[in-house]
Amino acid sequence: MTALLAQQGPVIPEFERGSDCVRENGQFCFDWFVDNFGDVFAPRLVEHIELTAIAVAIGFAISFAAALTAYAYGKLETPFAIFMAFLYTIPSLAFFQLMVPITGLTVTSAEIALVSYTLLILFRNIITGLREVPEDAREAARAMGLTQWQLLWRVELPLALPAIMAGIRIATVTIISLATVAAYIGVGGLGQPIFNAIQSGFKTQFVAAGLLAVLLALVVDGLLVLVQRGLAPWMRATRA
Amino acid sequence: MNRATLRLLLLLALVASLALAACGDDDDDDGGGGSSGGQETEQASSDMPGEGKPPVTLGTKDFTEEFVLGELYKQALEAKGYTVNLKKNIGATEIIDKALTSGEIDGYPEYLGVSVAVVARKDIVPKSDEETYELAQTFYEDRGQMISEQTPFFDVDAIATTKEFADQNGLETVADLKKLDSFTVGARPEFRNRFQGLKGMRSEYGLTNAQFKQLALGIQYQALDNGDVDSANVFSTDAQLASGKYTVLEDPKGVFGYQHVAMVMDQKKNDALGPEFFATIDEVSKLLTNDAMISMNKAVALDKQPEAEVAKKFLEANNLL
Amino acid sequence: MQTFTDAIQFLGDNLQLIWDKTVEHLLLSGAAIGVAILIAIPVGVWLGHLHRGSFLAINVSNVGRALPSLAVISIGLGVLGVGFLNVMVALVILAAPVMLTNAYVAVEQVDKDAVQAARAMGMQPRQVLLNVELPLALPLMFAGIRTAAVYVVATATLAALAGGGGLGDIIVNQPTYGPEGVVAGSIAIAVLAFATEGAFALLQRAVTPRGLRKRGEQVLLEPTITPVTNP
Repeated sequence: MTALLAQQGPVIPEFERGSDCVRENGQFCFDWFVDNFGDVFAPRLVEHIELTAIAVAIGFAISFAAALTAYAYGKLETPFAIFMAFLYTIPSLAFFQLMVPITGLTVTSAEIALVSYTLLILFRNIITGLREVPEDAREAARAMGLTQWQLLWRVELPLALPAIMAGIRIATVTIISLATVAAYIGVGGLGQPIFNAIQSGFKTQFVAAGLLAVLLALVVDGLLVLVQRGLAPWMRATRA
Repeated sequence: MNRATLRLLLLLALVASLALAACGDDDDDDGGGGSSGGQETEQASSDMPGEGKPPVTLGTKDFTEEFVLGELYKQALEAKGYTVNLKKNIGATEIIDKALTSGEIDGYPEYLGVSVAVVARKDIVPKSDEETYELAQTFYEDRGQMISEQTPFFDVDAIATTKEFADQNGLETVADLKKLDSFTVGARPEFRNRFQGLKGMRSEYGLTNAQFKQLALGIQYQALDNGDVDSANVFSTDAQLASGKYTVLEDPKGVFGYQHVAMVMDQKKNDALGPEFFATIDEVSKLLTNDAMISMNKAVALDKQPEAEVAKKFLEANNLL
Repeated sequence: MQTFTDAIQFLGDNLQLIWDKTVEHLLLSGAAIGVAILIAIPVGVWLGHLHRGSFLAINVSNVGRALPSLAVISIGLGVLGVGFLNVMVALVILAAPVMLTNAYVAVEQVDKDAVQAARAMGMQPRQVLLNVELPLALPLMFAGIRTAAVYVVATATLAALAGGGGLGDIIVNQPTYGPEGVVAGSIAIAVLAFATEGAFALLQRAVTPRGLRKRGEQVLLEPTITPVTNP
């Protein structure tokens, strides 16, 4: 079984040597980063954005439906909130792992966990936003003869928009953070180079992947602040 | 409708379209980070036994050597026309074996000593690599899997310390560690409970003075350098060991086993893929000597070359691509 | 389901392990919270007292909250290496912003009348700060410390990936402890996080001057989300 063909052995080619910076594991090897950005980081960045976008979109759809339902049938709010809070409590490292036996080492497993993490934030913000609509506005609308449905869509939701947008913003930034942990089950994203770097101890990779994730989070947060202000110009941008 | 409502509807439409677009993408995702470097695998060769065969999913564990092995086998198979889906970095043995038995992957490269000790859970110390192979083969066949020929190279778990520490304390073998009042051994999580790990060290070498410090796999050399741990669990073909900074303690009792590598494949899938599948695997395996593996590990771990490139270069130099 | 009951069993069978890991976890969290307090509170209070630097002080918490925790740990691993110190520094970076912002707002928004009255009574600025502004600011300040503390305890789970120990060690070690171990570790962390929240809530109530207690708890800056166990 261990019989080897008696030959002179394989040809071992000369592999490219890393630069001195890389070989000595310097703090940040800019040359390596530039060379490898396209292969190592760029695809992961795209994956990360995808993971986040899917989670927030699906999470919003579910939370919105749940919030409207709870808004109409107040008794449902507490059970919904408790369930969503429970999901939020599960540590991310655990949630991703526990999904694997059920939905495999797939993006689906990661997304189930990520979507779950958006629910509490979005649900609370949407409902709070709706509740905080000034009673005057509602009365005026009713006085004008609007139906319940029209009241919701023409008055309450638009006025709740700032709170809803704030919720989307917080949820998105939270998911960007959690999506880095998703790489633990191999689905890619900016966490992948981080976990690989844990394997190799390559300082440049740690720093580069970390910085990219931080940048992504800050840029997205900034953009969403602008959207938040754009969508509700009649409200002074309070609460940053 | 008024402007506010319009804005709201636009927002909802944006979100909804994102969700729809995403659902479309969702189905294509299969093993994150799978295809490496987009190389052309169509060759104008008439010898393409892989064509027409079902696609096969291979997995790799969570460290450098396995990444390299995965790429080597994947590229060699693709050169023969097989469609290979590589799921990298699945996790430790216990996790990846579950992926195999549950059908998530069809096969992965395994260290046969680990097969015996960890997968089959036999707390015995086989006397030779042949014995290890036979034990592994029997075990897998009973479970509906089969293994390929084993590689010439072997990569065993080992205990290493810094050269200074070994010199200061007169350490040459694992047994010598008994001299110390107590010492820390840093290792990846699964090492703690394994017979080919801390358990075996305690039972076979009497090292009750060992204190376990859990480290994520890969951090052990940093931990040794910093003095965070006295000793660490390393792999014998790790590139870092060639630097001379560390002393690898010998394992006279063979607790860490014989660890040649073989591809473990699901039996039914292997049958469907035809005999050329294992034939291709074996062609690659027999080239993998200790020197070859160490130089490839070095290229990836120290020179930070992408494993796909390293594998490609090796296969090309040996006319398998 | 089955794994859940197995997890409870696991907790019972492994009390020593859980205890040791909890202690590690609390040491790390406690150190980070402590250092963050030492850095953030004085700065926030000082800026608030002077009514200076509002843009920075308010927005630093937005930036801080947006930082992906694993990414900060990753940068720390690159710069500081493995172990306790690295993770502690990362946790400080994640905790300090909220504390700073809350401390700033708390002091800055102290009732101007109270401050004026104190000055009229002849108090020096430092006395005003210590005898008037701080006591009135304590509740909101504590709210910030509380939020940050819970966040730190939750995020310290990731320390396991960087050699920092703690309950995360159990969660990343499914090979040894099985899925029941993963669930058990999660339960332990959740309990720890809730306990931290509770402990600080009690502390907050204890430091709220009696006169303010009727107004009820002060609200945080953002729509109130209590991040319990997730970074």
